[in-house]
Amino acid sequence: MNTRAPFVLKRIFVVSFLLLILLGVGMFLGLSMGSSGSGMSPVLESLFGARGPDSALMDTIIWKIRFPRVLLSALVGATLSLGGLVFQALLRNPLAEPYILGISGGSAIGAITGILLGFSRFPGVAAAAFAGSIFTLFLILVMSSGQSIIKRDSLLLSGVMVNAFCSAIIMFLVSLTRDSRLHNIIFWLMGDLSSGDMHQVGILAATVLPCFCLIFFFSSPMNLLLMGKETAQTTGVNIKAVTLILLVVTSFAVSATVSQCGLVGFVGLVMPHLLRLLFGPDHRVLVPACVLGGGAYMVFCDLLARVLPEQGEIPAGVITAMIGAPLFVFLLKRSGR
Amino acid sequence: MQFSIREGRGCAVLTLRWYQRGVLKPAVMIVLVFLLCPVLQSNARVLIDQMGREVNLPDDPQRVVSLAPNVTETVFALGQEHRLKGVTLFSNFPPQAKAIPRVGSYVQLDLERIVALRPDLCIATKDGNPKETIDRLVSLNIPVYAVDPRDLDSIMETILEIGDILDARKEATALVNRMHSRIQNINVRVEHSTTRPSVFYQIGISPIISAGTHTFINELIVLAGGRNLAHGPVPYPQFSREQVLALSPEVFIISSMSRKAIFEQVKREWSKWSGLPAVRNQKIFLVDSDILDRPTPRLVEGLERLTRLIHPELFEETK
Repeated sequence: MNTRAPFVLKRIFVVSFLLLILLGVGMFLGLSMGSSGSGMSPVLESLFGARGPDSALMDTIIWKIRFPRVLLSALVGATLSLGGLVFQALLRNPLAEPYILGISGGSAIGAITGILLGFSRFPGVAAAAFAGSIFTLFLILVMSSGQSIIKRDSLLLSGVMVNAFCSAIIMFLVSLTRDSRLHNIIFWLMGDLSSGDMHQVGILAATVLPCFCLIFFFSSPMNLLLMGKETAQTTGVNIKAVTLILLVVTSFAVSATVSQCGLVGFVGLVMPHLLRLLFGPDHRVLVPACVLGGGAYMVFCDLLARVLPEQGEIPAGVITAMIGAPLFVFLLKRSGR
Repeated sequence: MQFSIREGRGCAVLTLRWYQRGVLKPAVMIVLVFLLCPVLQSNARVLIDQMGREVNLPDDPQRVVSLAPNVTETVFALGQEHRLKGVTLFSNFPPQAKAIPRVGSYVQLDLERIVALRPDLCIATKDGNPKETIDRLVSLNIPVYAVDPRDLDSIMETILEIGDILDARKEATALVNRMHSRIQNINVRVEHSTTRPSVFYQIGISPIISAGTHTFINELIVLAGGRNLAHGPVPYPQFSREQVLALSPEVFIISSMSRKAIFEQVKREWSKWSGLPAVRNQKIFLVDSDILDRPTPRLVEGLERLTRLIHPELFEETK
């Protein structure tokens, strides 16, 4: 764990570089495929300034419709997998994840309330979502308070209950509305990445990128926390402060993505586990890896969501849950042994 | 006749010579400028749509994308379907509309497909189309004209507006006049009747949903000489089975969408309650939702059908 700094730095660079290539490939594919037809050559032409006959139209489609969406997917994937990583480290539970814990559900309650009250998406709905996520975070911490937080079952059960409670409230709020906004809320609840334009992507980036940096800054304390509270304390880490800051920052970033594109589940489960398997448990490497890898994963999931159906699209949350839920069961069985 | 043609030719030759000598060049320039002015102006025709937005309309839109089934029907009714380059998923009437490329459903529009059709105008509906998608189309420099038909008057207003935009004013006026006279015809008939049967109009199966006062379903029921049992401030109120039975409707109408079998079953289930006046008098009906739920010219047809169901005696008398 206490490997020398230059070595860690080199590892961070190598891992980041590999994942950056993956993200680049995903983004390129994301730009070249869509409902109006797929092909790589228009993207290449557009990138390198060659002018085809349809180039103005293709430029609009690629840069004003697909590009914001690909960026949005990358940001959402990065935030959610980083969220999973942080929660798994802080709660010392391999199955912790914003969606499973109910943090996403809490933000959704806040966001729906904001939408129904007619707030603008930013900052009204985002602030309401943040309030909701903090509320559920508090609820979970109280319910599984004391040392039992380390126990897998108690935390998971709290999460399941908080989630059930949240979905009941969401259903209640949805049943209150009888107008066309209902349709939008239902699409959004299943994870909808189609809404983003450059302006909204910019706002989301400005919200979550500082959070990424802050979490990276705390990656060494996270390593120590994993070895146990006592060890961490003896090395001079202020556990309470670090835990609190990380929980709040992560909830903040997660609620920002929820207010933008609804509930996308299990991303925070799939990516951190996969990356830990590949690159080891050092959080200094895992934090940037989760940002890039999670982004790439979400870009690919969104690509499937757009390309699989002939007409319309599958909500991205459905794809991530289809991949993530079986993995969750697998992890649960393995860690139970 | 012959004389005038010769005269004309002579004039043309003369003008050409003058033009070649350079006499007319400034004059031609001035005339051209004057000719172009109205063209430029009309290319940037600005209208206020039914959402109160300013829309820069092309003079003679050739690539129109309709963002809702009722808009598609209206464009077809005006005979302007050659302008339609895209329609939504459930644009099923008239049947020819099914051959036009689809751009997603009206609540979940596929932005990329719309843009790829290079529309010079999109016609949207306020009730249903997500506002974000409309805003994004506008930000991509595609003019979007939004309509918001809420009752028969505004449906006719909408037809006239779409006729104006698509350069089919004559057709629109004729269509609206026909609708007016058919509505008038119904009014005259209904005035003959003194009874106003109570009507329960079911639009949703589970939960049971009906239509309140501020809907065109209510308007149609009233025009057809019935009393809407679901009248009230809530536009689409929910009912329990108990409530419906307590209301004891005299006419029961179930508006069915594509999956007809389910609605047949709903009808059978209601028919078990022989205490209902509507069941006793065999006044429980299935109607095609497309002619009664869609704000289109066909709504008048729906009104006629509804009047026949509520007041069959008015039509027997005339036979």
